[in-house]
Amino acid sequence: MAEPLLRVEDLRTYFGTPRGTARAVDGVSFIIEKGETLALVGESGCGKSMTALSVLQLVPEPAGYIESGRILFNGVDLLDYTWEQMRAIRGKEIAMIFQEPMTSLNPTFTIGWQLVETMAVHGAPRNTQTRRRAEELLARVGLHEPGQALRQYPHELSGGMRQRVMIAMALANEPDLLIADEPTTALDVTVQAQILDLMRTLQKETGMAMLLITHDLGIVSEMANHVAVMYAGQIVEYAPTRALFREPQHPYTQGLFASRPTRAHRGQDLATLEGTVPQATAWPPACRFAPRCPFRWQTCATVAPNYLNTAPDRLVRCHLYDPTIPDRPANAEHRVAAARAVKPEVAS
Amino acid sequence: MTDALLSVRNLVKQFPLRKGLLGARAWKRAVDGVSFDVQCGQTLALVGESGSGKSTIGLMLLDLLAPTSGEIIYDGQPFSARRGKDRLALRREMQVVFQDPYASLNGRMTVRETLTEGMIVHHIGANAAEREERAANLLRQVSLAPDALDRYPHEFSGGQRQRIAIARALSVEPRFIVLDEPTSALDASVQSQVLNLLRRLQRDFGLTYLFITHNLDVVGYLADEVVVMEAGKIVECGTVDQIFDHPQQEYTRRLLLSIPQFDREADPARALDAI
Repeated sequence: MAEPLLRVEDLRTYFGTPRGTARAVDGVSFIIEKGETLALVGESGCGKSMTALSVLQLVPEPAGYIESGRILFNGVDLLDYTWEQMRAIRGKEIAMIFQEPMTSLNPTFTIGWQLVETMAVHGAPRNTQTRRRAEELLARVGLHEPGQALRQYPHELSGGMRQRVMIAMALANEPDLLIADEPTTALDVTVQAQILDLMRTLQKETGMAMLLITHDLGIVSEMANHVAVMYAGQIVEYAPTRALFREPQHPYTQGLFASRPTRAHRGQDLATLEGTVPQATAWPPACRFAPRCPFRWQTCATVAPNYLNTAPDRLVRCHLYDPTIPDRPANAEHRVAAARAVKPEVAS
Repeated sequence: MTDALLSVRNLVKQFPLRKGLLGARAWKRAVDGVSFDVQCGQTLALVGESGSGKSTIGLMLLDLLAPTSGEIIYDGQPFSARRGKDRLALRREMQVVFQDPYASLNGRMTVRETLTEGMIVHHIGANAAEREERAANLLRQVSLAPDALDRYPHEFSGGQRQRIAIARALSVEPRFIVLDEPTSALDASVQSQVLNLLRRLQRDFGLTYLFITHNLDVVGYLADEVVVMEAGKIVECGTVDQIFDHPQQEYTRRLLLSIPQFDREADPARALDAI
């Protein structure tokens, strides 16, 4: 296959903190093909947002910095770009939308002004034609009175409408890649369903690729082609969405699926992952999930697991799947199979 | 209906929107004629989107906000008939756990102070030593180590803080707890721990829960009955099975359909079509 749209290789984004270096993103690699959606899934503090911000080099400085890695966009390493060159990429080739639209919009300017400005920054003239295009964009994202919305300020719009405006701004320059960081978390479920639907439709129309960051497995299932599950600064499992949902392999992924409350579990205790996510300044030394893992044995605390292919398009970072680990318990395969039996209950 | 611990009848709450030139006021009916019963020892889920009035109802049930009209009957006696000490006693009977454990704990109080403050107010425990023992016990109940007593909220993770907030609610031995989105701010793996805890506490202490949430997965798991709200009014109410399997109203159906589902998978071919 040709060079993917985005290839991230061994990305490391660190933060200097009073308690030492926080390795927020610690050796992350993934690819996104043109037109596809990759979901980056994980809990707070796992580094998924920092991975996204690193791609755009928007890591909060000076505390945060990209320690090493390569971010190849259309084959060119963005980390070699100057600040000015990156500015030309942001909002044009790669656009981003955030969770909270109110903090991403400027409250002192009208929606129309901000939309025109988004295009003007990348060379469009500030004229009625661009303004008309802004109106078209607002209509396209489903605002009923786009002409009126142009003259309104962010506070005059509802949360769902604001997120539509954010999507319109992200699409203004027809990006090849849209990074969406929890785009619907702040919205009500019915509005969320509309926004997800809109994003799918627009993706189909424009052929843009998406990096979707979320903690909601339901959203992953509806939106993504591939899933990367992050834990403690690393991707622990990568798989096509369908395959991951059919058979989660990493114990952490299995735990996430099993702990989801559903009606099928009424009256029973939910499966839990004991303990909490470790601190980024003190990741566990070898396997980072080992302290919480129900399958751990001594080696897990001393030898870091390899990132292994378990199928042509699947990767998992766990000793259970590594036949080269000498002291793997004799019943490892059996244990894995037993864990697979803990399948997600499909909500009825 | 005989076993209702708490009943709500025609509850209305109006908020003034703005004052007109001549003192004429516009009103927003946040809660508009709501009636339901919460059965003793059960969980009633109040479901709806933001602005539907569910949290406003929670505040009125806790006697933290006065209704414009209507009546709340707790344990057979209307709020309005309770005076003085009798009314204050409600505060011991009813407790609340809020969504954000970062905001709802006092950052300047140790866990010991947080857990014993309510006991002092309600004269629970004869002396400081006894109260401390109770506090340590509460921490065990919510699966925290007793050495947490001398620590401050910022030293704990979100899930641990929510456990402290739950322990604080339990500290005055309530019968009724309003849970206002108690797991929305928590990560998936921690949410299941807290839900298990809430379920166990309900079983062990016979607690009655009013669960305010927009998360229908959690409702299906934890609730007995569901009240669906929209714009201050009840759209539909019934048991979990009735609401989930046979929703009668279009709004409820739309709400249920909006939950992202595991089995509605993305079509991998779709993205490729677009190229």
